[in-house]
Amino acid sequence: MVFLAIVIGCVLGAIIGMNGPVISYTYSGYVAIAIIAALDSVFGGITSVLKGNFDLKIFISGFFGNAILSIMLTWLGVKLNVDIYLAAIVVFVGRMFTNLAIIRRYYIDKWSNKMQEVKTVINTSKKENEKI
Amino acid sequence: MNIFHQNNNVKKMKKGKLIMTIIIGLMCLILTMLIFMQVKTISQTNISEIEIMRESELKTEITALKTKYEETAIKIKETNEKILEYEEAATEGKEASMLLQKELKETEDLLGKNSVTGEGIIIRMSDTATNRIVSEDLLELINLLKNAGAEAISINEQRIVYDSYIADLNDQNYITIKGQIITAPYTVKAIGNTMYLESAISQKNYGYIDTKIAEGKQVTIERQTSIAIASHERSLEFEYVKGE
Repeated sequence: MVFLAIVIGCVLGAIIGMNGPVISYTYSGYVAIAIIAALDSVFGGITSVLKGNFDLKIFISGFFGNAILSIMLTWLGVKLNVDIYLAAIVVFVGRMFTNLAIIRRYYIDKWSNKMQEVKTVINTSKKENEKI
Repeated sequence: MNIFHQNNNVKKMKKGKLIMTIIIGLMCLILTMLIFMQVKTISQTNISEIEIMRESELKTEITALKTKYEETAIKIKETNEKILEYEEAATEGKEASMLLQKELKETEDLLGKNSVTGEGIIIRMSDTATNRIVSEDLLELINLLKNAGAEAISINEQRIVYDSYIADLNDQNYITIKGQIITAPYTVKAIGNTMYLESAISQKNYGYIDTKIAEGKQVTIERQTSIAIASHERSLEFEYVKGE
């Protein structure tokens, strides 16, 4: 059910985005940093689902809060002539890599466990065959 | 009671899951929409020119362009001022050339190069059986007319100019004005103050007309308010005189 919602949301978003208006180049920097923040939240959410401590409120607040905060920080950086968006990108992308590593480890562990099980099953059946 | 409670719990769980599904779907929608819009924006913007440069480079370029613009504006201003000056000079030149033209026309009028009209007198002279008109008669008449202030004189449509001469031709019945042969009757036109011209030649008894009539020549005088005298037809050019 959730998976279906994700697929439908992605497809609808792609269609709307492709036919939607073009953002002014001046503001595309802010949109980019918001996208990075949102992606970071998404990966964080997936990690927490895998860990089993997923909380919808935290996910939603992180998704929107991080995006808005990063936009504001970027704006402040433009006003102060400091590239604050670089710090935001470093933090978000670093966290994205950590989360991706956790997801990768989880699925590799799962896969190797399965392989181990298959191996043990094959071994036991072989032994049984020998016995017979 | 227990079953009802469990049912309620299941309903609540279902409701919460539905809300979560909708919210996650919406978030996915927003995220993908933003990503696609951003991609579209970046692909439509001319990145090869703008994104390669850093902001500081763009800033310096803008400053350079601004200075160039200001310099060009100053140059345009200077050029406009120059154009104005030239225009003024051109109008002045026009005035000068107009003045020159006026002077030229006056000089040509004086030289007899233009046809002129004005008040004046016409004197008709013709030979009679007893006496004929000779060049001295015409010379005397022209001298008298010039003395009386005649501004333009012609004899038989030959304009009298600065180098005109009048002479008899081989004692024949011809008179020549600078090579042009004219014959009787002679019509002398003179433009000037008619009163002066007339009184200069028509004194009683010893005046020009009376003298000539007494000699047996036919002379008549006529006043006119508008006499047309044709222009001098030959070219007026110096061959030996050199300007300094």
